[in-house]
Order: sequence, then C-alpha cells, then structure tokens
Amino acid sequence: MTTESPYVIEVEHLTVSYHARAALLDVSVRIERDQLVGVIGPNGAGKSTFIKAILGFIKPDIGTVLINGGDAQKATGQVAYVPQRGAVDWDFPITVQEVAMMGRYQQIPWYTSPRPTDYQAAREALEMVRMEKFGERQIGELSGGQQQRVFLARALAQGSDILLLDEPFAGVDAATERAILDVLERAKEAGKTLVVVHHDLATAAEYFDKLILIKQRLYGYGTPQAVLQEDLLAKVYEGRLRIFRDVVREDAS
Amino acid sequence: MYELFIAPLTEVYFQKALIGGSIVAVVAGVVGCLVVLRRMAFLGDALAHAMIAGVAGGYLVMKMIFGLEAHAPGMLLGSLLAAIVTVALISFVARISRIKEDTAIGIMYTGIFALGVVAVSIFRHYIHIDLMHFIMGDILGVADIDLWVSAFVAAGVLTILIFFFRHFQLATFDPIMAASIGLPVLMLDYLLTTCVSLVVVSAVSMVGVILVVGLLITPAATAYLLSDRLDKMMGLAALFGVTSVVGGLYLCVWLDSAGGGAIMLFCTLQFLVVLAVAPKYGLLARWLRLRRLVPQQVVEDVLTTVLRHSGPTPVAVIKTYVHDDRGDLARALRQMIQDGLLRQAGEDYELTEKGDVEANNMLRAHRLWEKYLHAIGTPHEEVHATAHHLEHIRKGGAVDYLDEKLGKPDTDPHGKVIPGGSS
Ligand SMILES: Nc1ncnc2c1ncn2[C@@H]1O[C@H](COP(=O)(O)OP(=O)(O)O)[C@@H](O)[C@H]1O
Ligand SMILES: [Mg+2]
Repeated sequence: MTTESPYVIEVEHLTVSYHARAALLDVSVRIERDQLVGVIGPNGAGKSTFIKAILGFIKPDIGTVLINGGDAQKATGQVAYVPQRGAVDWDFPITVQEVAMMGRYQQIPWYTSPRPTDYQAAREALEMVRMEKFGERQIGELSGGQQQRVFLARALAQGSDILLLDEPFAGVDAATERAILDVLERAKEAGKTLVVVHHDLATAAEYFDKLILIKQRLYGYGTPQAVLQEDLLAKVYEGRLRIFRDVVREDAS
Repeated sequence: MYELFIAPLTEVYFQKALIGGSIVAVVAGVVGCLVVLRRMAFLGDALAHAMIAGVAGGYLVMKMIFGLEAHAPGMLLGSLLAAIVTVALISFVARISRIKEDTAIGIMYTGIFALGVVAVSIFRHYIHIDLMHFIMGDILGVADIDLWVSAFVAAGVLTILIFFFRHFQLATFDPIMAASIGLPVLMLDYLLTTCVSLVVVSAVSMVGVILVVGLLITPAATAYLLSDRLDKMMGLAALFGVTSVVGGLYLCVWLDSAGGGAIMLFCTLQFLVVLAVAPKYGLLARWLRLRRLVPQQVVEDVLTTVLRHSGPTPVAVIKTYVHDDRGDLARALRQMIQDGLLRQAGEDYELTEKGDVEANNMLRAHRLWEKYLHAIGTPHEEVHATAHHLEHIRKGGAVDYLDEKLGKPDTDPHGKVIPGGSS
C-alpha cells in the first residue's frame, strides 16, 4: 500500500539463528499478489521459522522482511496465521466460536466487548469453512481436519490480505484436504496471497502456483516444474531420491 | 447447629478471616487460571519464597531510615521488589547460560529465601519477624491493614484482568498471533507476573509461604476440569477459592487446627471430589465412557455369526457363538442397529447391506488367517480358535498382505470359499 510494487512479501538476505545455529541462511524471495505459494522442505528445514519471520514474530539476525513495502515487525494485523497443529494447546478452555472471534480482536477496541458486527464476522468465517454447527464445542473435541478449519476461519475473520499456513494438511484425511484446499483457492480468487507449508511432494505441483524449496538455504523458487527438479530434490532430500523420481516423472507427464 | 455454624460467625477474628480469605481467594483463583494455563505454577511458588527477603529488607530499611517499626507498606514494597528481582535473575540465568528455566527457578528462589531467613535471624534483635508465622500464615490473626492491602490488590488486579481479558486470553493461547496483531506480548507477560506477585504477597500473610501456591493453582485446576471457556473457568475458580476459605475456616474452628492448613486441605479435597465426578473430564465420566464403548470384538463376532447362519438369526443362536463375558451383547445389538449394520426381523436379527459387506470382510479375514496359520504349520485343532482371535487384526493392510503372500487363494484349509475383498 505504501508502494506500487507488485510484490506483497519481499524477503531479502534473511538469516535467522537459534543459539548460534542458523535455521535460515541468506534467504531471498519475492512473492507476488494473488498467489498460492507452497513452502516445501524436509523436517527441520526452517519452514516454520520462515513463516514466523514473515509474520514478524522472529527478529532476523540480518536481512529484511517487507510486507506491502513496510517492515514486517511493524506491519501488525496485515498478515493472518494458521499455526502448526503441534503448536496449539488443544486442552485450552476455549470454544470454536471464541477462536473464530479471536480473528476480530484487532478490530475491537480494548475498552469494549465484541460488537454484533464482530459476532457476525466470526460466524461468516465459520460458515466459509462449514464449521458453524460446532460453535460451542471445545477445540479439543474436533477431528484433525475440523481443527484446521477452525483456525482457517480465524485467519479469514482477520480480513488480512496475506495468509500464512503452517502444515494445514498434516493429519487430515483426503476429503478434508480437498475441502481445505477449496477454501484456500476461494480465498486466492478473492484477492488474497497465501503461503502454505506443505509436506507432500506428490501433491505440491497440483496445489500451488509457485513453490519455495528450502533447507536452511533457498534451493529453489518458481513454478512447480522449475522447482521439482531431480537434482534439486536430491540435494535437499538426501538419500530418498527414489521416491522423488516418481514425483518428477509424474509431473513431466 | 447454632454452635457449629453460627457461633463462629459472631467472633470478630472469624469474620475478618472470612472476609480477608475470600478476597484473596477470589483474585488468586482468577489469576491462577492464567498461571495454570501458562504452566507458571512453579513461578508462583518462587515468588512466595522470595518474599521473605523482601519483607526483611523493607522492615530494615524503614526502621533504619525512618525509625518506623514493622511498616506494612514498606514491607509490601520490599516484597514486590524481591519478587521482581527474583524473576529478573531467573530469566537472566536461563537466557545467558545453558541452565534451563525450571532449574534457574529452583536455584534462585531457594537462594533468595535463604537470604531472607539468614537476614531475619541475624537482625533478630532489631527486626521482629516471626518466621513461623510467615511460613505457615496466620489467617485467624488477620490485621486490619492486611485486609485493606488485600482489598486494594484484589481490586487492582481484577480490574486489569477484566479490562485486558481478551489480551491475556490471546497472549496465553497463541502468543504468535497475539504479536502479529500488535499486542505487546512481552508487556503482558510482565503485567501478569506483577499481578501474580501482588496476589502472592497479599495471600502469604493468610496461608503462608508454603501453601500460597496451592491457593493460586488448586481452585483454578478444579475449575479447569469443569469448563470449556476461560471466562467461565475464572468465575468457577473464584467460587472454589471462596468455598475453600469458608469450608477451611469452619474445619479449622471445629478441629482446632492451623488455619492455612485447613483451608488448603479443604481446597485439595474439593479438587479430588471434582476430579472424580466432573461430568466431562472427571474420572467417573471417563470410566463410564469406556464402559459404554461396545467392544469391537463383540460387534464383529455378531456379524460373522449372523452371516454364517445365513438369514434371520434368533438371539439364542447369537448367544451361543458370541463370546460375551462382560454382558455387552444387548448393548452391542442395539448399537449395531443404530449404526445400520443389523436389522430386526421379528424376534430375529438379519444383516443390512452394510452389515453384509462388513461381515464378509470379517469372514475373509478369518479364512485368510486360517489359511496362513495352516501354511505356517499351526496344529490343525488350534487353527480355528487362533484365527478367530486374529481375524480382528485388519488395520494397516494386514488382510491384503496375507492374501498377497498366500497367492490369492480361493478357499480356506477346510475348503470353504474365501469371499472377495471390498472396503
Ligand atoms: N525455539 C527454538 N529454539 C531452538 N531451536 C529451534 C527453535 N525453533 C526451531 N529450532 C530449530 O530450527 C530448525 C528449523 O526449525 P523449523 O523452522 O521448526 O523447521 P520445519 O518447520 O521446517 O520443520 C530446526 O533445526 C529446529 O530444531
Ligand atoms: Mg514446522
């Protein structure tokens, strides 16, 4: 909004470390508007760290993250986030409806309670992911797919133009995966930019417009055809090449 | 009756204890919910222990500089300072060294507690602090000044928590999102720690250093077993705090025991009762849920029995073939009708289409296991019984594996047809 740049997310020379170990090293990516972007890489590659850096939650050791041309750490509320399943306390005393309402917290002034419009917005977000019937359930009493959809509803209720999702397809069945993808595609058509961490290489090409392949460093960024190259995958997923030959071949056909 | 319940109420010391205890219990219960959900219980304990050094320091400073004896606000300020120093030291040590936070808490609070104890005994002619009173608390001797202090603390802390309820809720549940929408997560942490310190300080004079953490977390944990919303949990925790104080005080009068001890004992018993009978998260409910669960084994046995009988099957026949020593059969039949596996035909039962598919899958598993057992040389007379046991292992592609490995046989060792697989 501050610039006319076609890029909504600009990551330049990003390095993030935990206790002197670099989780991300010199990563530079520019993501255009209205894209569904997949982030792939093995476990511990730094995918979640990448998401948190874009979110402005982690301060980089060096490098910049710009959201719509402004510093990510100051760009509050422009980016919505769906956490990784393991990062949520599923025993927390909170209902589905309350989680969706959290998406509205940035719009509610601190001195008032949620207004009717906020309830309306939270409800619409739940309807979008077909979870409106579960409003009063505690979040631990849902299936894995339903849990993902609730957090997706929260992100949609935020009304941000950028959505970051950390492994939304982990631990859900094929039908739910489709349903979630459906919502993501509709969000994209509504003009949102989505960055999604994904673990299944077999479906990556089909789901995403662009792929980011990282393992500490950036190994590839571009169309699925450009990124799902045998030599690149071999470098990133050492020793598990045989599986990925099939991926590459399927993709070529 | 009058003697037991009304007579204590006419005593001033009892009234003060009741009022003071209830005020502290309400605010401790509400703050305690956040302490429990953030797994900060150990920190509450640390703050209570660190306090003694602060009290001694506050006493000493006020006496030396202003010549004031046992100046309450001075000691209160000292306690808060000691709490803040302890928290700062803990996070400093945990951050700059390889020592983890729980260890850092353990080191720092025992150290500062020891400092307090040593200071109190060195200056025993100079400052008059009764260590025992401190460690055990003295709810029956609550002074007016203590009442005022706790009332102010409670009002302040509750106001903060009510005004910033959503902020604390989000920062506790999902700090990453909280930060991303611009909430000052770190500030909220400090604010909460300060609130906890204030509550701990005002509660120590009533229940003592050792029990204060119980007053903070036990009512909250009790409420946690009963609620699916944070606001409800806070309300219930406050209520349980008050009932602990009321119940504990009566217990203390009747048994002529220590006040703080009686309160915490009552509080713990209350927790245990709720743990047992809570409708959703209680042990009894869990046990009933497990009991209500119809064992899959019984369901599957019914399916194959009806399939083998081919056609409407009387209950008597089912009873002879289905192994049911827990008395689950009637429940299993009802459940199976509900799940659309069985249909009632007069007095008899028959398979629905869905049930038929399931039953054939079972039979296929049974006969393939028999074939397999036969192939690996299991004695003939054991084959059927063992296969009956093994047929329930069907997850993870076990049956297809057998089929593959045995070369897709058409018949079992007894020459019976193995039904085709379908899912
Ligand atoms: N809070 C943390 N403290 C220390 N190390 C961390 C922390 N978070 C992540 N790491 C390390 O950083 C690396 C990248 O982690 P992460 O971004 O979670 O990977 P991914 O999401 O791709 O599995 C891993 O080696 C992990 O052990
Ligand atoms: Mg991750």
